[in-house]
Amino acid sequence: MWFKATTAALGDFEQLVLLGVLRLGEAAYGAAIRQEIHARSGRDVSINAVYTTLDRLEGKGLLRSWIGEPTPQRGGRRRKFYALTPAGEAALRQAYRAFMAMADGLRGRLEPK
Amino acid sequence: MTPRPPRSALALLDWRLPSEWREVVLGDLVEEFQLRAGASPAAARRWFWWQALRCAAAPPPSGARTATIPTRPGDSRMRTLLADLRYACRVMRRTPGYAVAVIVVLALGIGANTAIFSIVNAVLLRPLPLDEPERLVRIYHRPPQDAFPGADTFPLSPANFYDWQRMATSFDGMAMFRGGRVLTLLGKGAAHPVTGGSVGAGFFEIVRARPLLGRVFRADEDAPGAPKVVILSEKFWRSELGAPADIVGKPLRLNDEPYTVVGVMPSSMAVKAWGILTRDVWFPIALSAEDRAVRENHNFAAVGRLKAGVTLESASTELAVIARRLETAYPEANAGWGSVLRPLQDVVVGDVRGSLVMLLGAVGLVLLIACANVGNLMFTRALARRKEIAVRAALGAGRGRVFQQLLAEALALAAIGGVLGIGIAAGGLTAAARLLDGQVPRANEIGIDWRVLLFAAAASILTGIVAGALPAWRAGRGDLNAALKEGGRNDGAVGVRTRRLLIVGEVALSLVLLMGAGVMVQSLFALRHADGGFDEHQVLTMQISLPATRYAGGPQRSAFFDTALQRLRALPGVESVGTIDNVPLEGGSVQPIVLEGQAERLPKDQPTVQVRTATPGYLHAMRIPVVRGRDLADGDDHVMLVSRGAARLLWGDADPVGRSVTLPLVSRMQLHRVVGIVGDVKQGEIAEAPQPTVYTYTRERDVPFATIVLRTSVPPETITVPATGVIRTLDPELPVRNIRTMEQVRDDQLASRRFSALLLGCFAIGALALASAGIYSVLSYIVRGRSREIGIRTALGAQTGHVLRLVLAEGMSPAAIGIAIGGAAALLAARILERLVFGISASDPLTLVAVAATLALVALLASLVPAWRAARLDPLKVLRAD
Repeated sequence: MWFKATTAALGDFEQLVLLGVLRLGEAAYGAAIRQEIHARSGRDVSINAVYTTLDRLEGKGLLRSWIGEPTPQRGGRRRKFYALTPAGEAALRQAYRAFMAMADGLRGRLEPK
Repeated sequence: MTPRPPRSALALLDWRLPSEWREVVLGDLVEEFQLRAGASPAAARRWFWWQALRCAAAPPPSGARTATIPTRPGDSRMRTLLADLRYACRVMRRTPGYAVAVIVVLALGIGANTAIFSIVNAVLLRPLPLDEPERLVRIYHRPPQDAFPGADTFPLSPANFYDWQRMATSFDGMAMFRGGRVLTLLGKGAAHPVTGGSVGAGFFEIVRARPLLGRVFRADEDAPGAPKVVILSEKFWRSELGAPADIVGKPLRLNDEPYTVVGVMPSSMAVKAWGILTRDVWFPIALSAEDRAVRENHNFAAVGRLKAGVTLESASTELAVIARRLETAYPEANAGWGSVLRPLQDVVVGDVRGSLVMLLGAVGLVLLIACANVGNLMFTRALARRKEIAVRAALGAGRGRVFQQLLAEALALAAIGGVLGIGIAAGGLTAAARLLDGQVPRANEIGIDWRVLLFAAAASILTGIVAGALPAWRAGRGDLNAALKEGGRNDGAVGVRTRRLLIVGEVALSLVLLMGAGVMVQSLFALRHADGGFDEHQVLTMQISLPATRYAGGPQRSAFFDTALQRLRALPGVESVGTIDNVPLEGGSVQPIVLEGQAERLPKDQPTVQVRTATPGYLHAMRIPVVRGRDLADGDDHVMLVSRGAARLLWGDADPVGRSVTLPLVSRMQLHRVVGIVGDVKQGEIAEAPQPTVYTYTRERDVPFATIVLRTSVPPETITVPATGVIRTLDPELPVRNIRTMEQVRDDQLASRRFSALLLGCFAIGALALASAGIYSVLSYIVRGRSREIGIRTALGAQTGHVLRLVLAEGMSPAAIGIAIGGAAALLAARILERLVFGISASDPLTLVAVAATLALVALLASLVPAWRAARLDPLKVLRAD
């Protein structure tokens, strides 16, 4: 669109979401990803932000999704699960490489004293 | 019992979440809520609310995710934009009627805005066309407030000026000046007036006016006894003298006196809005040593240039300190006299700022109404194209893409409207140039420059967005399936609520404008008929200034005027004749006055009055009533009339007739005996209260100039020729200036108010027309959409009256809401107007009621045609068409 640019590189939050999906494996759905990000990074994000990002990543072809079975503790509602596609894994690996390469040798300065 | 998430938060989510996300997101939130509720139900509920609100604010995107089509190489944003614009042009060509309607409304709206902005730009925004004008300031006294209530600024006295000039360090220079000197150029056919200005040493250097020929005045020429020199304006040099190249050093006879020309000033420095720069010729002020020492008579204007980097505040502070020092040094003349600095630009622009800002706001409202109308048209268009839009969506155009397409169309229309609008503004300003000239300062500088173009461009884009965004957004929201199934059949009115909202908005904005125009027009009417204390009908005035070379003393001057008045009185059609120095409404001399037997007090404690020099016949010519005592008579000498206000101010309840006073600025010795009390007259603004005034009459005239006032029994303009003829036979070389009727004098003062009232009235009428067109088109659309329903109703036996009422209610209910909202808004806007109106409150309830009634009537009329059409629908035809 002529009034909005689309970017190809992964954003900071996109990386967190992708890492959450990778970590949770078979059990990667919205609430679980949200809690994982909260527990590990300390960012208490909203569920809409998680799903907006998941949806965008799926649109970029980095994730795929499927609908699970209804469960009673959700009031009989179903879950939507996500998993990395090969392109998603490649993008995450690329981001990781870039981060590590940039952080190389800076450990002493970046880690909390 | 297990805790449950808050029900209202669930409902909010249910409403806000797109269907494809609802189950998943709600499930996630409920699941985590249960988890958290185990620890603390209250905290879990808070958390749930927090999540729900954030979801509601920005829910995950809707729209089934279509696989993103990989962008073609080279498919840039620019290319999409161009394609959209191309498509917009094709659409316009296909439906020219719609395009023309939209463009005309927008062009008029943007044109009116651009025109008003051009005026605001020239008057308020553009700096004066002088070198570094922001450093130029006017320098004034602040008079003692007890003696001059309400006067913020006052001219300077020479002695104080020279002291300030000597002591102040904040200025590159300061100079006195004085306009208003009129001379006669001789030996060039009939005597005609030449306007002259006197300027102190350094004036041209301060203004940074460089001469075209020759030089500016030297400091030693601003001294008594210096050779008489003159600088000419380029205009005078060209039109009167024929632009001789060797003019510098040549003699020129003005007022029977020889002057040497030392320079010619270019026309480029003749800033029309600042009188002193538009004179024909300039002289050095050249005050005598005696005149330079005058401290208590305040008659001179002054201008200064602030040193680079010096702020107005610090310069003001410095002058204030100096003024205070002078107060202590010369208490008898200076007690209570402070100092004021004003940026030259502010002084030149004067008090039109308020009305211009008001007009800009008003014309902005007109544009908003135009936007609402255009928005309605675009909305109808977009709905008629629902099928096209649905097809585009089915082929994969996202909602954003559709929105973008429609917005591009709106912007294209607005852009064309904007270009035409600039044309309309330019044409309108040219056509109104003559009118504007007398109404606003700096009118000659009004034109279209880059600021105006920028404004018009911004206004066009904003208009396109405002008018196009809502329809574009609503059009993309429709149910794709329904639209396709419907097959684009025009059935059922869509978006009725949005349209009603447009009517409400239009009616409300129109009411604000009508209210403003209503009070402005009434205020103007009140001012035109305000009692100034005199009768302005059938009165002719003309100014005469006797040159000192031929009328050296009082006896000569009195003799001239005696003969002139006698002959003028004998003219057929003239009832009475008198002279006065300054006619009412034009201001004049304000002086301290001392009662006989009382000691003169410090200036700040001394009462001041307007002082006029009149002759017998003046009161009668102006029809100013004598309240007590008698009028001036031919045999009188050193007598005085006092106005009622002056009598009350000076003597309270005691009778002033027979008492005597002195006017210390004229003479501390000469007593004037009061012979009568006369009615109060407004000497300054007609919108203000009359000032205490005294009229002196002395056999021998001190001053060489006077305004002759003639009361006529015939239309006063017809006396102009015989009256000037009388003067010419007495002295063929004496110019007669400023020939005006008193009605013209009063109208001149109301010029800028008349201008605002006129424009505001035009805007209000435009708004009313737009609003009624809006109501009409919305109702017509609704009737067309509901024709089936109405047809069935009629077939089932509904009466004509019933259908009429149905449609009228449809139109009148949003209009009524609009009137209510507009009424409230008008009362708020009244605060801005309050300072601009006279004789009426800006929130005058009667006007509000009248305006609301007008608007209701217009809404009713606009609703009648569609209602009538609905009532006459033939049910058979309608139902068969199905």
